[in-house]
Amino acid sequence: MSDQKKKGLSLAKKHNLTGWAFLLPATLLICWMSFYPMIRAFILSLQTGMGVNLNFSGFSNYTRILKDPTFKQTLFNTFFYLIIQVPIMLVLALMFASMLNNKDLKFKGLFRTCIFLPCATSLVSYAMIFRSLFANDGFVNMVLRSFGLSPIMWFGNAWTARAVIIIALVWRWTGYNMVFYLSGLQNIEYSVYEAAKIDGASPMQTFFKITVPLLKPTILLTTITSTNGTLQLFDESLNLTNGGPGKSTMTMSHYIYNTSFVQSPNFGYAAAMSILILIMVAILAILQMKVGDER
Amino acid sequence: MKRKIVAVMLASTMVLGLAACGGGDAGTTDTTGGDDATATTEAGGDDADVKEGSSDDENTLTVWTWDPNFNIYAINKAAEIYAQDHPGFKVEVSEIQSDDIETRLTTAVSAGDLSTLPDIFLMQDNSFQKYATNYPDIFTDLTDSGIDFSQFSEAKVAYSTLDGKNYGIPFDNGAVIECLRTDMLEKAGYTIDDFTDITWSDFMEKAKVVKEKTGQPILTSQAGSPDLVMEMLQSCGQSLFNEDGSVNIKDNKALKPILEIYQQMVADGTLVEVTDWDQYIASINNGTVAGVINGCWIMASIVANDDQSGQWAVTDMPKLDDVDGATNYSNNGGSSWAITSNCKKVDLAVDFMNSTFAGSTEFYDDIITKGALSTWAPAGDSEAYAQPVEFFGGDAVYAKIVDFSTKTPSNITGAFYYDARDAVGVALSNIIQSGADMDSEIQTAQETVEFNMGG
Amino acid sequence: MGKGKKFIMYLVLSIASIVSVFPLYYMFCASTNKSVDVIAGKLIPGTYLIENYKALIANQNLGLALWNSFRNATVLTVLCLLVCSIAGYGFEIYHDKGKDVVFTILLTAMMIPFAAIMIPMFRMFSTLKMVNTMTAFMLPSIATPFMIMMFRQASRSFPHDIIEAARIDGLSEAGIFFRMFMPTMKSTYAAATIITFMGAWNNYLWPKVILQNNSAITMPMLVANLLGGYTVDYGMLMLGVFICTIPTAIIFFAFQKSFTEGITGAVK
Repeated sequence: MSDQKKKGLSLAKKHNLTGWAFLLPATLLICWMSFYPMIRAFILSLQTGMGVNLNFSGFSNYTRILKDPTFKQTLFNTFFYLIIQVPIMLVLALMFASMLNNKDLKFKGLFRTCIFLPCATSLVSYAMIFRSLFANDGFVNMVLRSFGLSPIMWFGNAWTARAVIIIALVWRWTGYNMVFYLSGLQNIEYSVYEAAKIDGASPMQTFFKITVPLLKPTILLTTITSTNGTLQLFDESLNLTNGGPGKSTMTMSHYIYNTSFVQSPNFGYAAAMSILILIMVAILAILQMKVGDER
Repeated sequence: MKRKIVAVMLASTMVLGLAACGGGDAGTTDTTGGDDATATTEAGGDDADVKEGSSDDENTLTVWTWDPNFNIYAINKAAEIYAQDHPGFKVEVSEIQSDDIETRLTTAVSAGDLSTLPDIFLMQDNSFQKYATNYPDIFTDLTDSGIDFSQFSEAKVAYSTLDGKNYGIPFDNGAVIECLRTDMLEKAGYTIDDFTDITWSDFMEKAKVVKEKTGQPILTSQAGSPDLVMEMLQSCGQSLFNEDGSVNIKDNKALKPILEIYQQMVADGTLVEVTDWDQYIASINNGTVAGVINGCWIMASIVANDDQSGQWAVTDMPKLDDVDGATNYSNNGGSSWAITSNCKKVDLAVDFMNSTFAGSTEFYDDIITKGALSTWAPAGDSEAYAQPVEFFGGDAVYAKIVDFSTKTPSNITGAFYYDARDAVGVALSNIIQSGADMDSEIQTAQETVEFNMGG
Repeated sequence: MGKGKKFIMYLVLSIASIVSVFPLYYMFCASTNKSVDVIAGKLIPGTYLIENYKALIANQNLGLALWNSFRNATVLTVLCLLVCSIAGYGFEIYHDKGKDVVFTILLTAMMIPFAAIMIPMFRMFSTLKMVNTMTAFMLPSIATPFMIMMFRQASRSFPHDIIEAARIDGLSEAGIFFRMFMPTMKSTYAAATIITFMGAWNNYLWPKVILQNNSAITMPMLVANLLGGYTVDYGMLMLGVFICTIPTAIIFFAFQKSFTEGITGAVK
């Protein structure tokens, strides 16, 4: 009896050690490639000065953020995108994924590839196309005119320009998120669905009672990454609108990039803003995990 | 089976590309020969063919620049000419976008490792002061190098001069030109002479007639871009900064009249704002506008539509009415070469530059075929510049542009030039597109730049 | 399922597909037209493809860029999947308080904007004399918190009784991972391959800073080169962009098939 117990303990210990061994390569790499530079970035955020002439100045970069109207504007823009775009995109992605998981559907591979394509499309062409679609005499306005509506200066107004960014984001990233749902759905046994069918459940009921709960880990994953992605949004702001009109569509990451590489470089300030974003994303991620990750 | 199809498809894209390997790329990827004796690089031994930073070969200079049809062509041509008297000389060009050159410079200098820099790089004039001010360590001071800077136009040299020190060798010309569609002017009863050496108020009235007769706006502008405003500002010798480096936006006596002209022309329908650069070029090529004002490099985009050959003419831009020192000449764009502090063959690099970019009409006569116009005065006197250009109605436009560039007033740029340009662009965008109040926008622009400078 | 519902499903998916594919069609048309026609918005295929192709290969080293991108993306994907799936599996299967804490800490690593850590990272590699090496290019992207999290979430649906059964059969812990987990999680690996390959293929900021010589050019750098001049040849540009998009699309098409093989099929 005591012999067996001893063996069991050592086995658990062995498994525990194996576990650590499994984590080790990735953990070391992340510490080296992310945390070490991150600590350097934090140290940088405590320094002020232009170019390479930096001096320690405590938290003055952080108090400076509070006085920066541009940062406030970009903060607002970024959260606006987050609140509107992420839910729309995830719901659409989930909808497409569950449709495409249907066994009786034909041309599944084709549909999937088509819907995935936008995120594989190079940023250059995607930005060019959206700008020309929403140009003053572009395709969208042509459609509006043909319905007797007055055309809209899409990029001339803060709200319509933000709308274009959101449309572009949904277009580009829905297929990307669909991939995770599709792969997540594969881990649900098909017999569960068949049982539900026999019990007379409607597709809606099946979706909410089976698909959504079983996909919860994947939904959590996509929510966290989309939140993170949106808070670090950069490409669309730079390439679609260049932050305009004025600064009404500029994102925080775009502003940070400008501060480091476009304007006269102020790395300390850029680092301070980055750390602030990090803290915001971390808080949101923890909240989302608390809500979505009950075992 | 399906897997096979996929494999075949993948393979065929690769083949498509590899077939391309054979042609193309005029020797730019050529790695230095014969330097086996000297250890080329200290880089980790993963890639044997990798070469970093300044070249160790006695006769080779490494260069960072962009645009195969323009800058890369020019530097290779210069090397070819220089090699005639200096056998074995060559340049090793890395094609890198101007933004990326800046990012790399910033990264390298911030990481405290200048050993990755090349011998020579090209930099946009608008960015030059930012780097010369913040990172003077990157550059080799060329003040007493023997290059005669007085032969370049003064406004051009000013971009790469800081505290009386020359950090750059001026290259291509960004003199502002006004290009107009003569066929459309004709419909309104004008010739190109009616638009030469005139003022903005005159220009605006004539533009209204053109609009009335042809239905076309006379100018196009990219929404939110400060280019046109900045060109107008420089044309009257005004800058966004004072001599002492303080911001000169709020109290700038020319800025408000300029914004008013812009605003009025938009209201008149004589200036059309388009959403982006592609649309801007399209509006020129498609004939939806009767003209354009920009740096002379815009010609290359205009001539892209050969259907319009003979329908365009080039003249100077209008000047401001009631501002002291106003002229019909300005500048936008252009770039200058710099020799890095990492260069171990400064004498060779200087001599190379001095014999070509700062000393060879043969060189400038050749690169004019690519539309690269000189800012080096002696080149303008050469015959190549006097030749008529058919596309522009048989006019000797090159000589004209070199003449414009010598008359252009200087512009004070400084480390925060981009910040200031951007702030003006934001103000313009808010005024035109959102109908914001002009005075408060100008005030905000001033504050934004001061905020950035205060960090 | 009713006929009506099925019709609606096909309709929705068809509309979504058309909207999604439109830009690809646009790219294709543009790559067969002259620059002037492209910006004029011509939407029918033209006859200028060969000229654009000739211009492209005369202008840029297309073959080299394709080969570099392909090699980088493939090696990186294999390494990333291996390292991250082992870690994700480890975090879930052997999970305890300590590992959960480590996981939460690792997760914060994905939340810092890359622009902020780029300079410290470059400094690190430059002191190690590793600028311009493939290793320096790859190291930052091999272990990503995102991929670890993805594999961890997927491991949750990996039945624990299989592990127990395998242990009784005398399989080692590593053996369980390689022989039981990996084949079972095909669809997760497929998704991860698609995502990682695409990320590596399109990566631009880091390679352009760390790989400084011409022979290291990748497809996104090539496309950027086409955009950089005073004048842009849009026909040539769009052909470059089109060629840059195709490989990712093919990879997706190849790997999406495994989404139809459910977990039950693989275990049996």
